[in-house]
Amino acid sequence: MPATAADSVVWRMPPMDMSMPMMPGLEDALPPVPPALPDQQAMGIPAARPSAVVPLADGDTLQLEATLVRRQIGDRTFVMYGYNQQYPGPLLRVTRGSTVVVVFRNELEDPTTVHWHGLRLANRFDGVAGLTQAPVAQGESFTYEVYFPDTGIYWYHPHMREDMQQDLGLYGNMLVQPDQDHYYGAVNAEETLLLDDLLLDVHGLLPWGDASPTHALMGRFGNVMLTNGVTDYQLSVPRGAVVRFFLTNVANARTFNVTFGGARIKVLASDVSRYEREVFVESIPIAPAERYVVDVYFEEPGTVAITNAIQAINHFRGEFYPHVDTLGMVTITDEAADPDYGEAFRVPRAYADVTAEVDMLREHFDRPPDKELALTVRVQNLPVPIMMAMEIDTLYVPPMEWNDAMPMMNWLSTGSQVTWIMRDVDTGKENMDIRWEFALGDIVKVRIFNDPKSFHPMNHPVHVHGQRFLVVAMDGVPNRNLVWKDTAVLPVGSTMDLLIEMSNPGDWMAHCHIAEHLSAGMMLGFTVHGADTRP
Amino acid sequence: MVGLAISLLLLGSAPPAICTAPPDYYQITLVPTRRVPTARLARGTARLTYADSPFGIAVSARGHYRYNVEVVVENLRPVPGGEFVAWMATPDLKQAVRMGPVTDNVRGRTEWNKFLVFITLEPLSQPPAARWQGPVVMRGLSRSGLMHTMAGHGPYEQEPCAVYGYY
Repeated sequence: MPATAADSVVWRMPPMDMSMPMMPGLEDALPPVPPALPDQQAMGIPAARPSAVVPLADGDTLQLEATLVRRQIGDRTFVMYGYNQQYPGPLLRVTRGSTVVVVFRNELEDPTTVHWHGLRLANRFDGVAGLTQAPVAQGESFTYEVYFPDTGIYWYHPHMREDMQQDLGLYGNMLVQPDQDHYYGAVNAEETLLLDDLLLDVHGLLPWGDASPTHALMGRFGNVMLTNGVTDYQLSVPRGAVVRFFLTNVANARTFNVTFGGARIKVLASDVSRYEREVFVESIPIAPAERYVVDVYFEEPGTVAITNAIQAINHFRGEFYPHVDTLGMVTITDEAADPDYGEAFRVPRAYADVTAEVDMLREHFDRPPDKELALTVRVQNLPVPIMMAMEIDTLYVPPMEWNDAMPMMNWLSTGSQVTWIMRDVDTGKENMDIRWEFALGDIVKVRIFNDPKSFHPMNHPVHVHGQRFLVVAMDGVPNRNLVWKDTAVLPVGSTMDLLIEMSNPGDWMAHCHIAEHLSAGMMLGFTVHGADTRP
Repeated sequence: MVGLAISLLLLGSAPPAICTAPPDYYQITLVPTRRVPTARLARGTARLTYADSPFGIAVSARGHYRYNVEVVVENLRPVPGGEFVAWMATPDLKQAVRMGPVTDNVRGRTEWNKFLVFITLEPLSQPPAARWQGPVVMRGLSRSGLMHTMAGHGPYEQEPCAVYGYY
């Protein structure tokens, strides 16, 4: 597994910053797993098409198929994966409260599933291989009933070997429209942005690990940025336009810090709801699997770049340095936007209904946690030079890893050497040995601490399946503007208090959404007991 | 002994109350310099929490972390005619911010990658200056300041530091 390994595939060292010397003792080192890659010479593979918008009404049925596709990335062509031969997968546009049937068929050699990220749908359709369903083998089908209880932007992706299948292109958005008027403010246009990165060298796609992922320490960072699957995303808007962007980070490991060239940005909503109050921000830090809904005001004509602007780290030199990736370009024409929503944009709205819902839970905010987790890592059999370098390097661990500062060391670490751990502080149990039990309607406070003194601490975007939660405090500081989430990033050394509303019965999972960390064990199970009374 | 608790917090709006102790990993230990006799037994910490942000973490448009800083100092005995003033500065001291007298509830925030937090003893008779004039009483370095070149160390011990600008 996966069956895409070809005899001709060989390991190639990932591209490195040429100012960084080769680590002594690792010149000839290779990951201790065979490489895997879709057959790049395969014949008859159809060219992928841009994502299509698929409006779906309650009760509609969608045929969804995972196949090999031929993708153009920049000026090169690769054999990759796709849903319905599209990149990204089709954008499902539905209305809150609806249910659609998705008949999924797998034509890939790899077994796979489809997880409907963020949706509080029936447990048996959550798409988690080994927990809620069996893997869908090549040529087989699985029928999902996908229920959309909450307005917002969601996404679907495999829940098997995400490090490879998702990276190869298996992802798509679901835009759930509100069932009420004036849910958000008025805008001139709406855009969905799926942010991704892909690791390429001069020969093509860097192979993935066959039996186990590579890049187990930090996750696989790409060196080519993709917005909606392309390297040259462009948008044209009239002067004075207010554009609503629905952002989703589908990268394996990279947290983006998204800017819009100095244009004003207002944050409206995140994963599962609007905020209590809209907020103006300079940028949008978005971790893997998170979503944000923002309005951007393009006031003046010209061209602005959508960027990922970070303070990268050069561990070898012990320095921060500014780094900017261009994610796309927006051209603002001289023509004036009609209608002009500029005035409305300047006034952040408050959402009393969100606050009212949050208020019902405030009594739980300050009570002791019901569960406590510590996040850490255990390693074994890593090459000695890596162990030596890590010991020196851990004098300072950044709260967030914005770039892969040690690509060779990271590449050599696999899931067979690295175990990422969620440890229940009370019981000492780890990962899937944890099986929490709750009752439907429970409000559960979970405190998660990201241990900075482990062998290689790293930020973790924690995703809870099937439920929604509030981040009520970070490092002991109460959150004053709450939003319902399903994924929240926990920096190294920080403590995050989640208040999870157990609103959906079944056997669920919570895990780190860095794909390689998930494959390296960083997940736990929990059961919500109760009857599913949904229609 | 007089204990002083100094809160150097968020610029602008009132900071939220801290309901549990923030994690200690990135906290900055303030060490007395022994240049002021009454402060030789002083102890202090600069505690960092993320500035208010809808994202949990707080970063600038260029990707710098944005921190609130809270300093807690003990055993810092008053000096007649002088006042203790808190500062933050980049490690090369090219940029410095006067955070204010430690007797006030001064508020401040930083988004430097590496920075110093320090307390000086300033003459009471003079107006506040952009740079300190008196002796440094206590000082500490952000944990990010501990990040240093690997050249010349461990597996890279054959890599001469000078090649990379370090001497």
